[in-house]
Amino acid sequence: MADVYLGEFEQIVLLAILRLGDEAYAIPVRDEIARRTGRAVARGALYTALERLETKGCLRSRMSDPRPERGGRSRRYYSVSASGIAALRSARAALLALWKGVESQLEGR
Amino acid sequence: MNEPPTPPRLAEQLLAFLCPSTIADEVVGDLHEEFAGVARHKGKVAARAWYTVQTLRLVTHALRARARQHHVPDPHAQRPGDSIMRSLLTDTRQAFRLLLKQPALAALVVLTLSLGLGANAAIFKVIDALVLHPFTLPDIERLTLIAETGPEFSLDLQETVSPANFADWKKQTDVFEQLAAFDWWEVNLASREEAERVSGFRVTANFFDALGVRPALGRTFTAAEETVGNHHRVVISHDLWQRRFSGDPAILGQTILVDAVPHEIVGITPAGFSFPLGSDIWSPLALTSEQAQARSSRYLTVIGRLRPGKSVAAAHAQVTVVGERLAQQYPEHNKEHGAKVMTLAAGMRDQGLGPIVLLWQASAAFVLLIACANIANLLLARGAERHRELAVRAALGASRFRMMRELLVESLVLACAAVPAALAFAWFGIRLIRINLPPRLVRFVQGWENLDVDLRLMFFTLALAAATAIVFGLLPALRASRPALVDALKDGSRGATVGRNRQWIRRALVVGQVALALPLLVASTLSAMGAQRFLHGAQGYEPRGLLTMNAELPLAVYEKPESRRQFVENVLAKLREMPGVEGVGIVNVLPTSGGNAGRAITVEGAPPVDPANPPYVDYRTVTADLLETMRIPVLRGRGFTPADSEAGQPVVIVSQSLATKHFGETDPLGKRIKLGDSPWLTVVGVGGDVIHNWFGRRNAPTAYRPYVQAPSLGLCFVIRGNGDLASLTRPAKAAVRSVDPSLAVFLLMPMQEALAERTIGLQYVAAIMAVFGAIALVLAVVGVYSLMAFMVTQRTHEIGVRIALGATRRNVVSLTVRQSATMALWGVAIGLVLSFGVGRTLGSLLMGVISGDLRVSLGLAVILLGAAAAAAYIPARRATSIDPMVALRQ
Repeated sequence: MADVYLGEFEQIVLLAILRLGDEAYAIPVRDEIARRTGRAVARGALYTALERLETKGCLRSRMSDPRPERGGRSRRYYSVSASGIAALRSARAALLALWKGVESQLEGR
Repeated sequence: MNEPPTPPRLAEQLLAFLCPSTIADEVVGDLHEEFAGVARHKGKVAARAWYTVQTLRLVTHALRARARQHHVPDPHAQRPGDSIMRSLLTDTRQAFRLLLKQPALAALVVLTLSLGLGANAAIFKVIDALVLHPFTLPDIERLTLIAETGPEFSLDLQETVSPANFADWKKQTDVFEQLAAFDWWEVNLASREEAERVSGFRVTANFFDALGVRPALGRTFTAAEETVGNHHRVVISHDLWQRRFSGDPAILGQTILVDAVPHEIVGITPAGFSFPLGSDIWSPLALTSEQAQARSSRYLTVIGRLRPGKSVAAAHAQVTVVGERLAQQYPEHNKEHGAKVMTLAAGMRDQGLGPIVLLWQASAAFVLLIACANIANLLLARGAERHRELAVRAALGASRFRMMRELLVESLVLACAAVPAALAFAWFGIRLIRINLPPRLVRFVQGWENLDVDLRLMFFTLALAAATAIVFGLLPALRASRPALVDALKDGSRGATVGRNRQWIRRALVVGQVALALPLLVASTLSAMGAQRFLHGAQGYEPRGLLTMNAELPLAVYEKPESRRQFVENVLAKLREMPGVEGVGIVNVLPTSGGNAGRAITVEGAPPVDPANPPYVDYRTVTADLLETMRIPVLRGRGFTPADSEAGQPVVIVSQSLATKHFGETDPLGKRIKLGDSPWLTVVGVGGDVIHNWFGRRNAPTAYRPYVQAPSLGLCFVIRGNGDLASLTRPAKAAVRSVDPSLAVFLLMPMQEALAERTIGLQYVAAIMAVFGAIALVLAVVGVYSLMAFMVTQRTHEIGVRIALGATRRNVVSLTVRQSATMALWGVAIGLVLSFGVGRTLGSLLMGVISGDLRVSLGLAVILLGAAAAAAYIPARRATSIDPMVALRQ
């Protein structure tokens, strides 16, 4: 599979899903991002990102059983696929390589 | 029970509708889930607002997801064959731009239209929920009602089937998967805390299967339970289960006292199920073999579930054949009797409701037509202003079709812009309709719970708006797109001189508005007068200061008349002791109550009557001081006294109408009559007439017997208080319960409240018609005003010349007012003719309670004329202030 390029927001979403493990559906993902980054994510933006990541093959999803607290609707649980992990790795590596040597310039400014 | 708050239904439906099915569960479900948390922290109202905002923010996401799914390419890409769509789009944009340039006009049109559309939408929803889709049952289209037809069933009644005929139908038809029957049943329900009166039905064992309803808990009935002795079992409604047993599942298998007889609870229905009508309890229909073989006592209601693939028409054909066969087989019972099949919704419909809601819909349509006339006039005026622009374009080669389309698209845009406001009006109207029905009555109106703004209503309103746009847009578009080229271009800078022809159309529109408004005003005034009369008119007794309550003595306990007399005596003694009580009485049937009691009357010495068809009179058993308590006057003779005892001479008091009907000119006092199988009763008094029921029983012949001589099981207590009636309710209830704690006291309310409840239907008619009348009046007046204002503007030049030539203020004002008065007169003349028809229709719809009244029509005509003249006066005043120099220089 060809290398997948991940935008910053996509990385954030994938990382949040990884952190949540089995409990990753849109609501906790959004909460997790808000908690860790202090960033309020628009609902629509998150759904769009999730859909795009699934199309790219970085995410897999499955539907839960219908739940009464959702008015009888199912949850869509996400998990990061192998190629998602690979994409995250390469993104991290690229960033770390670029960060190397410039930390000192940013510190203390 | 405290239900968790639910998100606003409309918003949720909208979102679910917009989202493609692949993401609907995720998006809608997430929002639903989060809603609960928001509701906990911020409260229900804030949460609903939050939900709505979130929904709106997700709209673009949903639409994009939809677009991605359908691979819709870039909408701006040029494709062959879509030029019409593209130019329509251009037209729409153009229309928006033009309308935004004249925001006042656009706002006026949108407001007018949304009033008209909103009124129609609200009434449509009433029809949809109460008449077209009153039941929410699975496979409703396969459910039917089967009724006997016969000479005595002139109306579409439901309780028409005799047990024996039902059994034969069951054997001889094969179009039905299930054929079930039920019979009305109202009972006292005793329990630990307090007895209650509940309504229910005795049903065949397959009743629930026929409806396709499974119990939420437990089971329904078995065929073995349809036998006498084995039938003391009940299924109770979810509502009753929650209300009386706090939703305790352990109640299954326990016994409760139903009319003082132990019954086992075997099942609980799903929430919301109360079929046929506000039912709380069901028991097996167990008939003795004698009852089961009865062919001429017709009291069952029969429903059937069609086999898959069978139609109502096929069922009707088969049942008709069976009915004819039974008529031949049992001529003594079934002669002239047949059978028919209807859909359940049609069969169980409230017979009085249909015509009334149709009246409302017709009125709403009138309102919309008036609104259309208004808007057409405004657009015509605007067309006149755009005259030159259109003429220039036509001269440059624009096709008439193209220009017309453009103008129609403008109308469509206006109409669509009115839809949200119309839905808001409709929502508000439906709210008003909903909150004004007493909660006690809600359960008796099938489909009441479905009254709400929903997707269907949105589509209806959109479709109606589009149709309306064509109605009000077509005429202006036709006219404006045919400009008289040469005239228009020649006309210099003075603006279009409006042709005679065009003026004529505009005046005709105003005349039409006035003509439509008058009958609406007449209808609303007549309804209001009728409702007033019901509530506050003379009733034959004095309802003010009366408190009423009801109890039904169970036969199992009060079989002996002596026990009934004892009970009544004890309760009356306790009630009389209560502070603030002036008088107490008991009667078997209260005025305004739904029921009635009648007896065949035989007058001693009168010529014999047809024994098969004897005259009936209303039958009341009353305690000695009832007439005094209710203030029913004794016109001649005497009232009852304690001397009229059980062992005394059997006596009777007759109403004035009975005396007139059965004794004519002779004095009834001292004469003797028989009521049913009673002994001969001596007439000792003549009482005043009362209005038992405004719709059918006004001043009906009535006979009163002393309770001690004819003790009934049904008791209505009448208490006259001299202060606050509310403070009497608790002690009154306690007084009954202190004598018999197992007895349910029901319908405890002031007599005036009972009257108001009884006439609630007419009050609804009056209130809704009043709203329509008011809207119609306002729209018509606005119509007159805007046309006159326009005309004055158009004629500024002319009026300036007149003033310059010496016309006085008075001349100018009268010129304008006269014009508007002429139009109003024409309108009123046509309107009067229409009102006459409306009065007659109302009269026949409401069974003579309301009748057309020429004075009312004429009075309203004068008011309408006055309003039209006043509407013209404002522009007329403006006309007088025209400065001739300025006008001429223009």
